[in-house]
Amino acid sequence: MEQKESQVPQLKLLVLTISAKFHAGYFRISLSLCSQALLWKTLDEPSDDVHAFRQVLRLLPYAVFVLLWSLALLSLVSLSLIYLLRCFLHFEMVKNEFLHRVGVNYLFAPWISWLLLLQATPFFTAKTVHYFVLWWAFIVPILALDIKIYGQYFTKGKRLLSGTANPTSQLSVIGNLAGARAAAEMGWRESAICMFALGMTHYLVLFVTLYQRLKGSNSVPHMLRPVFFLFLAAPSMASLAWDSISGNFDSSSKMLFFLSLFLFLSLVCRPTLFKKSMKKFNVTWWAYSFPLTLMAIASTKYAQQVKNSTAHVLMLLLSAISVLVSLVLMVLTALNTNLLLPADDDHIQSHASPSCSLEIIV
Amino acid sequence: MEDCKQHHLAKNDSPEVLPSLIKVITAHEVAGFDAVKQPDDVNDRFKSNGFHSSDLSPKGTETVCVEGQNDLSNSQRMQFVSISMPPSPVGVHLHNTKRGVFEYNDRAIISNDIPRSAVASKNNRQTKFYSQPIPKGPVVNEAIASGKSPKDPGLPPKNPRIDVHKDKRFDSFKTWSGKLEGQISNLRGKHRETEVDLETQRPAEVEILPADRYFDALEGPELDTLRASEEILLPKDKKWPFLLRFPISSFGICLGISSQAIMWKTLATSASTRFLHVNPDINLVLWCSSLALVAIISFIYCLKVIFYFEAVSREYYHPVRVNFFFAPWIALLFLALGVPPSVSQKLHQSLWYILMAPVFCLELKIYGQWMLGGQRRLSKVANPSSHLSIVGNFVGALLGASMGLKEGPMFLFAVGLAHYVVLFVTLYQRLPTNVTLPKDLHPVFFLFVAAPSVASMAWARIQGSFDYGARIAYFIALFLYFSLAVRVNFFRGFRFSLAWWAYTFPMTGAAIATIRYSVVVTNIVTKSLTVVLCAVATLTVASVLVTTIIHAFVLGDLFPNDIAIAISESRPKPSVKWFHKRNASSDNKNGEKFLKCSNSEGKDIVAASVLKDVENSHSHKVLETLILPVIL
Repeated sequence: MEQKESQVPQLKLLVLTISAKFHAGYFRISLSLCSQALLWKTLDEPSDDVHAFRQVLRLLPYAVFVLLWSLALLSLVSLSLIYLLRCFLHFEMVKNEFLHRVGVNYLFAPWISWLLLLQATPFFTAKTVHYFVLWWAFIVPILALDIKIYGQYFTKGKRLLSGTANPTSQLSVIGNLAGARAAAEMGWRESAICMFALGMTHYLVLFVTLYQRLKGSNSVPHMLRPVFFLFLAAPSMASLAWDSISGNFDSSSKMLFFLSLFLFLSLVCRPTLFKKSMKKFNVTWWAYSFPLTLMAIASTKYAQQVKNSTAHVLMLLLSAISVLVSLVLMVLTALNTNLLLPADDDHIQSHASPSCSLEIIV
Repeated sequence: MEDCKQHHLAKNDSPEVLPSLIKVITAHEVAGFDAVKQPDDVNDRFKSNGFHSSDLSPKGTETVCVEGQNDLSNSQRMQFVSISMPPSPVGVHLHNTKRGVFEYNDRAIISNDIPRSAVASKNNRQTKFYSQPIPKGPVVNEAIASGKSPKDPGLPPKNPRIDVHKDKRFDSFKTWSGKLEGQISNLRGKHRETEVDLETQRPAEVEILPADRYFDALEGPELDTLRASEEILLPKDKKWPFLLRFPISSFGICLGISSQAIMWKTLATSASTRFLHVNPDINLVLWCSSLALVAIISFIYCLKVIFYFEAVSREYYHPVRVNFFFAPWIALLFLALGVPPSVSQKLHQSLWYILMAPVFCLELKIYGQWMLGGQRRLSKVANPSSHLSIVGNFVGALLGASMGLKEGPMFLFAVGLAHYVVLFVTLYQRLPTNVTLPKDLHPVFFLFVAAPSVASMAWARIQGSFDYGARIAYFIALFLYFSLAVRVNFFRGFRFSLAWWAYTFPMTGAAIATIRYSVVVTNIVTKSLTVVLCAVATLTVASVLVTTIIHAFVLGDLFPNDIAIAISESRPKPSVKWFHKRNASSDNKNGEKFLKCSNSEGKDIVAASVLKDVENSHSHKVLETLILPVIL
């Protein structure tokens, strides 16, 4: 009896601490897993691609894919639950995240994950009513966040884009583009084009701003360097979205894919940029996997369109890299579960203002 | 005077004579001074730190103490000229400089006109003093040098022995400047010592000047004019070795001529310009001459890379010149585009990959620096010459598409387009952090026209027809061209430089794009526009050619000293504090410069700066200025 009584407050304490240390950045994990599921679905789906490489991949058993999808679903559900708890128990912290220039962008991450999962689902096709309802359920929060955040870019005095722009801001763009792709899969062309236009316009502004590296914008702290890979994610997502809208992987999609390829090469040539952030395992490492997976999916579509060997080799290479990275990350996470949630509470407790240290997102 | 000399001579003859602390000897009598000397003597001269004046050996009468220079440049203490009291060498070269502050212990002696006798007589009164370290190495050099050649007040930090080792001054710009001997490292003083030591000990390393340094030291639309307060590492009034004067922007000539070759080829082969009856041989002649030019200029620049690698690396870190590193490869691409049909009908596809590889690697580096690199953020370094780094993509795409490739050209086009948008917005914004954009119009602005015109041609080739995308790009190019053309009377007052050749190729590019457009949309307007633009382009190239020839053979200054690569690593410290300035000499501006420069840094007086200032004056007038050591 006493044990039971002592267990209950212990459990409460555990829940409290976990939800306190948790933050939206953890949704990187679900982003990666859901995009992996989408990659496997894309690789697996029947296509008119008769190339040998592609056929080889189709030999993989269907069950593997379903397993992966279930894992992704599980992770997303659990993460969402924890975040819900956090909203109830520590609403102040959630508000602070919203006001933080990096944290606010990760509020898109759960919805992107849900949309990707929706597109990857093996249980119903895009033309069903379930898909339709779920799409609406996930799009509304994205639209709400859009209106709030994009509106702030050009109207509000304090939070100017020139000061707050950072690579994670591309998550909002990715959110719109993911919604556009999901809508296009559904056949809703107009909403797809609408979301696409929204995403691309802001992507243009953001791209220029991020490249300029205006004096006002602070440099990205070392621990957050992996988010530079988000530079690949946005054009890849745009390419996929346009591919779904226009029906085939045409010039625009190709150019967007090439842009993401170039940015990938650019980042890969600079390993020293990431050296400091690779010293200790933390959840930011999951930021590597999602963009690579998106690029792999785009390369799959590209190879399907172009049909020559180089493209297929590229597809295999990129897919292999993304799978490898995700696997490694999963293993590392499993081995370092204690490092997942930061030990020191000082970071979390000390942030009372929006300008607190970015380490809470790390 | 004579008895002083005799005194000295007596001293030399008989050591037991009263040690004269003050020796007045001529420069020629000082061992190693004003003459070619053994290195070790010079070494000793410059290595001696403080010394008592009672040190009587000729070597000991070194005046220069370079030790502690480093401290001095940073320190807040009083700084003194080391005029060691046997003012022997100092006295000698002081007769040119006329000014000295003799510090000893804590009393200052102010001397005005100091002929040797005066020095001797004054110094007779002192028995003891310590020679203090000299604050500025270069000053010392100049002080020494002045005895030798007052006409050469340049900053030869590398070698005091100017007459024999003149070119040693350029050693730091040479590859493996580790050939510098140790004495030279001492010459520059401690704080420079480390740098020079680095140069000597680790010859393969080159110092990377931060971008800010270039912006601080240089000005002008091509960032090649030295600001008034700056110094350069190499002598200003001496003609540097030819290789050092050969900038990377010389490749602009290749760009200009080879783009003309393409234009004449297009004129000869296009359907809409058949009425002009252009001779295809023009293309052949131009192409061959541009081929020869590319070969020659590449060869010379290769020599520069081999022999003066440091200079090349300084050009690479220059915010404007770095873009010209794309010029050789773009010139090669132009050659491939303009190849006359009589030479070759179809080029092999692997040639494209070979030509694009260097461009691709360069742009990986440069674009990455914009976004990810430390200092060279685009908001700071963007300038119209950056268009050269973008145009390479479009030219490569055009060439690839004409060869029949599809994916590669599209790849390059996508990359070029994305970065062009960024650059275009940045340049149009004219951000306050961006100082390189000139306020007046300069021919460099014509580079704005280059990217859209080549992009339109490239897109037309990729797509197979001059479709909407190509037309949009073409009209943008046309608009930019006209908006610059109507302002042509604002293009005045700029010094000609070889980079102007690079600014002619956008006009040629616009002309070629117009030819292609007129093939698709053939009417009197487009045809006349073609003729006008081609004529303007040819005329511009011709006038630039004439100007080049004039500068090369008549004026002889086609390759002036390349100041932009010789800026110093740090701003020269204004350490003089003038209290009064009497007798404003004709070279007052130097003094005023110091006056203006002396800011809160001035805690001490450095009479060495006085020396330097006087040194700079070419007159041998005595500056009757009062200097007081002031500790603020």
